[in-house]
Amino acid sequence: MMSLPRLNTILATCLITTLVLWIVIPFAMALMWSMVDPGTSWSYPDILPPALSFERWRIMWETSSLKTAMFNSYSLAPVAGMIAIILGAPTAYAFGRLTFPGKGIAQILMLTPIVLPGFVTAVFFASILVSLGFHSRYFAILLGHVVLFMPYAVRILSVSFSQVNNEVVNAARDLGASPFGVFRAAYWPAIKPGLFAAYLIVFILSIEEFALAFVIGSPTFTTVPTILYSYLGYDFIRPNAAVVAIVLVVPNVLLLIVLERLMQSANPANVSGKG
Amino acid sequence: MPDLDIRNVEMRFGGFCALSDVSLSVSSGKFITLLGPSGCGKTTLLNIIAGFLHPTQGSVLINGKGVTSLRPENRDTAMCFQSYALFPHLNVHDNVAFGPRQKRVARAETQSRVSTLLSQMGLDLHSTKLPNALSGGQQQRVALARALAVEPGLVLFDEPLSNLDAKLRDQVRSEIRSLQRELGFTAVYVTHDQAEALAMSDEVFLLNGGRIVQSGKPRDIYFKPKTRFVADFIGAANLHSGPINSGAMTTPFGPLSVDSPNLSMSTVCWRPESAALGGPLSGVVSSAAFQGSYLDVFLTKDGETIRLQISGDQHLEVGQTVSFGVPRDRVVIIEDTDTGQANA
Ligand SMILES: Nc1ncnc2c1ncn2[C@@H]1O[C@H](COP(=O)(O)OP(=O)(O)O)[C@@H](O)[C@H]1O
Ligand SMILES: [Mg+2]
Repeated sequence: MMSLPRLNTILATCLITTLVLWIVIPFAMALMWSMVDPGTSWSYPDILPPALSFERWRIMWETSSLKTAMFNSYSLAPVAGMIAIILGAPTAYAFGRLTFPGKGIAQILMLTPIVLPGFVTAVFFASILVSLGFHSRYFAILLGHVVLFMPYAVRILSVSFSQVNNEVVNAARDLGASPFGVFRAAYWPAIKPGLFAAYLIVFILSIEEFALAFVIGSPTFTTVPTILYSYLGYDFIRPNAAVVAIVLVVPNVLLLIVLERLMQSANPANVSGKG
Repeated sequence: MPDLDIRNVEMRFGGFCALSDVSLSVSSGKFITLLGPSGCGKTTLLNIIAGFLHPTQGSVLINGKGVTSLRPENRDTAMCFQSYALFPHLNVHDNVAFGPRQKRVARAETQSRVSTLLSQMGLDLHSTKLPNALSGGQQQRVALARALAVEPGLVLFDEPLSNLDAKLRDQVRSEIRSLQRELGFTAVYVTHDQAEALAMSDEVFLLNGGRIVQSGKPRDIYFKPKTRFVADFIGAANLHSGPINSGAMTTPFGPLSVDSPNLSMSTVCWRPESAALGGPLSGVVSSAAFQGSYLDVFLTKDGETIRLQISGDQHLEVGQTVSFGVPRDRVVIIEDTDTGQANA
């Protein structure tokens, strides 16, 4: 039999290898490509770029529509997150706290947008918006993101609502709390982490969403993912794509770390009060 | 302090009847227990008294005033929950101060109530801790202090000791009872533990399948059970069935004298500790366990087994034949109609 420390070493090695293959190498490649000096090209057989500079970053920032795209993306995402939460919370409350006939089916139907391919939704959604007379691309995409990502918010929030302890609600009422007092004492602590998590999920998904933003927005309305696509498609410029890719990925990774923290603190043990 | 009157309460959940025709009354300052097996409707009844549930029929009166449709926050009641239901994000002090603050009690008054209660419960040193950082017994005390901080006239306890270990349970049990005597509130105490019910209560209401099957003083419930279910549920009971002829019932162990001349088929019951060695009955010892203050003996004869608890200084061997007697006034005739529910 293999000794435990040895097994641990092997597992740790596997983990590190996987991390390197999946994350470190692509990220390092993107970083290097984004810093290839425009004057000196990087080609076979050089393993590392011969010269590094921030020239690409400067060019992209000053000449491309990256600035506008970032503004669009980062103004869409927070608003989409907010609206998804506000609209999703009542549904989540019903799923998490009430029993009603057809609840199971309703919950499954609610999740279907998640499994539909993005382009399918996007194409038909765009045609609906046009026939509804939606001419602002910004609002059309905003509405699209809210519809597409609300299921995630509802899903997370309904778990949060179901973790609200009935006896704690009753205790608050019993001790004379007003409806708002009950909300603050019994609901808010239990759903707060879920609210932030749901908000962040919608935020991240909105930042990364491509299909709908492309179908509705192109060619005039750009977001970070659609601009990235434009550097991968017809006029493929790898260093420029690398710059956009990093702009797209780094904030999301940071948000993901925050999200992970929130999910941990959403642990039911913290809200049950049972010992 | 208020008295409580429950009249013909029925509670249905869809097609399921959790309580039917429950009536009981508690006079001011008394300590009563709702006792019964799990699922018999104890919590449901408590929730109806507190106002979390509204009965499908019947009414609840506190101090003679109908409160059936009054919201929990407007009733003079406070509940101690089985899971404690402390606010996990509030520290001990703020948990206890929650009720007075919601009821807009003056700040100084709130402060003095909280500090009195915390010192009464031995929680002074923990007032800034979160509930998660406390032991089960401490959480239990915070829950009690929180309920008492609103100075309720009627305190409802839902199996408050069921999450504590045996030793702590005895201690907290007597603390609750002496607090109740000191503060004078009326108490409705729910438990499935018959020892707890017998030890604490002025009056016990025994529930089964959503009905009150017997109520009375602990002694009466214990020594004069009316049905087989009551006899079985409260303590250990020896039961015999058969006709009674000229004041005695024929059992495998011999003739058992009963305080009744002639009856056709009937069932009688007596408690293990009512028996004394020497008498007209006899059986073979199948086990004898020394329990310190008493000897727990099982006797068999013709395939039937009975239980005796006799003084601990006696010594019996397995296989030995023992004769014993049961005083006539300790043998009670019971109704034996609820056999089907006996194990519910
Ligand atoms: N909200 C409810 N909906 C349906 N059935 C319930 C509800 N609450 C309690 N019951 C049922 O009523 C019965 C009594 O429950 P409860 O009062 O909690 O019992 P106890 O506290 O005596 O263990 C149980 O069979 C339980 O399943
Ligand atoms: Mg219960």
